[in-house]
Amino acid sequence: MASTSTKQPSVDGPTPAHAEAAHRVWPRILAIVFFFTAFEGILFHTGLYSSIIEPDSTTGYMELQLRNEIRRPKPDRNQVLAVGHSRMSLLPRVVNQEKPGTGYTFASIALGGTSPRTWYYALRAVDPNANNYAAIAIPSVDYNEPDTYDYLTEREMDLHYLIARLELRDIFEFPWTYRSKKLQWQIVRGILLKGTIYKRDFIEFLDHPSARIAKARYYASDSAGWYYGYGGMDKSLAGLQIDWQHKTMQFPASIPENERKEIENVSFPTLPPDQGRETAYLRYWYGRIIDHYRGSGTKLIFMRVPRSPTTPPDTPLKLNSAVRQIASLPDVVVLDGRLFNQLEHPGLFWDGQHLNRDGMEQFSRLLAGEVCRVLGPPK
Amino acid sequence: MLFNTPQFFAFLAVILILFYAAPRSWRKYILLAASYFFYMSFIPKFILILLSLTAIDYTAARWISATQSPRSRKIALIISLTANLGLLGFFKYYNFFASNIAFLFHQPSDAFALSIILPLGISFHTFQSMSYVIDVYRREQEPITNPIDYALFISFFPQLVAGPIVRAREFFGDLYHWRRPTNDEALRGLLLLFLGLAKKMVLADQFAQIANGYFRDVTRQPGMVSAWSAAIAFGIQIYFDFSGYTDMAIGMAKLLGFHFPVNFRRPYLASSITDFWHRWHISLSRWLRDYLYIPLGGNRHGRLQTYRNLMLTMLLGGLWHGASWNFVVWGGYHGALLSLERMWHQVSGRPETRGNTRLEPARWTIWYPLQAVITFGLVMIGWVFFRAATFHDSLYVLHQMFFVPHGTQLIPRWERILALGTLALALLEEKKEWFERIALGPAWAYGAVCALLLLSVELIGFTEVAVPFVYFQF
Repeated sequence: MASTSTKQPSVDGPTPAHAEAAHRVWPRILAIVFFFTAFEGILFHTGLYSSIIEPDSTTGYMELQLRNEIRRPKPDRNQVLAVGHSRMSLLPRVVNQEKPGTGYTFASIALGGTSPRTWYYALRAVDPNANNYAAIAIPSVDYNEPDTYDYLTEREMDLHYLIARLELRDIFEFPWTYRSKKLQWQIVRGILLKGTIYKRDFIEFLDHPSARIAKARYYASDSAGWYYGYGGMDKSLAGLQIDWQHKTMQFPASIPENERKEIENVSFPTLPPDQGRETAYLRYWYGRIIDHYRGSGTKLIFMRVPRSPTTPPDTPLKLNSAVRQIASLPDVVVLDGRLFNQLEHPGLFWDGQHLNRDGMEQFSRLLAGEVCRVLGPPK
Repeated sequence: MLFNTPQFFAFLAVILILFYAAPRSWRKYILLAASYFFYMSFIPKFILILLSLTAIDYTAARWISATQSPRSRKIALIISLTANLGLLGFFKYYNFFASNIAFLFHQPSDAFALSIILPLGISFHTFQSMSYVIDVYRREQEPITNPIDYALFISFFPQLVAGPIVRAREFFGDLYHWRRPTNDEALRGLLLLFLGLAKKMVLADQFAQIANGYFRDVTRQPGMVSAWSAAIAFGIQIYFDFSGYTDMAIGMAKLLGFHFPVNFRRPYLASSITDFWHRWHISLSRWLRDYLYIPLGGNRHGRLQTYRNLMLTMLLGGLWHGASWNFVVWGGYHGALLSLERMWHQVSGRPETRGNTRLEPARWTIWYPLQAVITFGLVMIGWVFFRAATFHDSLYVLHQMFFVPHGTQLIPRWERILALGTLALALLEEKKEWFERIALGPAWAYGAVCALLLLSVELIGFTEVAVPFVYFQF
């Protein structure tokens, strides 16, 4: 065995004569580390792979938005950028028609399903030096920030939105904003080895590589126009009546049964006792956005978006909510919570939470007017 | 703690550090403790079975060598074999026989069934243990005096749960004359570790999804294209699963200074079924040959006896894989093919293919591609019995494979390309020994290949859950 013969049989066949030569182990170990780091780095840390990622995917949507915004010409700093989720209803096309009067150019990187954590990293990506924008518009669903069963802290989806934008330095912060050990480990692994997150996309890419590349190129060249031209949904909930006290609704005949249930669910959500979890989360991520823009002169404008097809009853003010706490900071502007109450009308909504075409257009004009008022004349 | 988990790699790293940091006299104790820890990480209570069999076989072998009385020697052997086969039979085959008895007496199939969990690796360590006692009985092996050494032979963690089945003289040769692995051995071991991991996670686990999807309900996707692609997917899965495990086991052993026998040599390049069995699960074939086929008479008593011995050996080999008629049929199918091949050679007067018992590469003739394709097809047909949930399902799939046109190609294009890529690598290995050239080649080539293997695991490897190795269930 080991001692009976110096010539070991190959595991997988006879040993060639040159096998006797001694080879140093450490150069080979270093070579493994070098090549693995090089392959991983070239593929995933240079933007090479994210340029061919499936455009119709979580990461793909985010990347398109960010790349389009990075590419968009910004001749001056009179730029206003909206971040947010699907309820940030700014239509830049509508308000930019009035640019000759306002002097400001509006843009949006709002994306359905995103949350303040993703907004921070998105802003860092499009404005790394915090000098591109006069103002950033940031939505809030409720200035009271009640806890919900959607634990924003533990949103795994954020990793998928941001994977292309996370850098090695983020390993010191991003994973630890999650509480679950399992998620923390998964995210650390994901940042170090991005292929583990891109896996499904990569396998789909392998199946039809040329079609994927063509699609990615097509989206890269044309999607900015599609997003800019988006006009909103034509449907409306006109005729809907909500009795907030008894939590009942009267639907017009035009609303199908399956949609009624969904509207009821989002209008009368079941909430857990408020333990300040949501506020703590928002305080952290609003704080990171504020830190990023501190001293830059960029105004951070927070607003409460239209909440429901009819105005819900007022609830007691939560004075220590994150948005109310930051309101006094320099360059932070928190708009009057009632500003968009006038849009809380069934004719301006297409479902329980989202404005339709008319609603979005009115929202855009109202928001633009308020932003211009806050900013004053362009510089 | 499966080989394909980060926990296992952490475990291995700790063991390697402890092993090489400790004084030499401590090392076997470290390996034994590690092996028992590894075994107990699955179902701790089954350690009692492992310990009991270890004690019984150790004592039996000592008894056999200590006494000169043929009767006492035989009694000790019978006690050992009864203990091994008895436990194996109870845990693995009780419910199978119970359901057959229930069938004979027109009772529900679970009328006499017990809730039994199969202890991990029992099929492997009982065979390894029995071979040792038989070798001692045959006076081909000296009995081991130190029970720690014997316990380590039975429980050595790289091969405990799914082989390869190591002979006592091989293992103790390494243990008693242990020397630090050379750099070349360590490099081969590391490359094998990565290669095995990639085989398992990139190839086996991906193809498993296709095979599992089809065989879960074979009626959902009718047609010969579906049936053949599912059978091939399973053929690819089981090969890369098992040979991936074996590569990792051999690689780990090399890193620890032990040398396991080759267990697979590109079996899907075989030019005949005989050749296939010289390339597939070689350590089991070798065991069956030495402890079953040859004691039955082998080919020494005429043609009919030879065919009978082949059939018996393969039927029992089939049953070793699992307690169901499907495995018996699978074994019988291969036994019949081996007998037919032997018959053909005898009738035609052609020299019999000896396979590659001496690790020779395939002899490529003009007919080789046709022979290899036919052999591959026959093996894939056999896998249907191996994988299908019931005998009825097997017959249904075979009917689809030959008599129902059309169907859906279940293997995505990228996996077909991947399979062809591995075929090219296998052919290159058969003729050019790329593995050795890489293992002992320049540092940049070694580093690039290892990095690519790891990158493939990262990008393609099935990591959502750690999929158990197929042979763990045997």
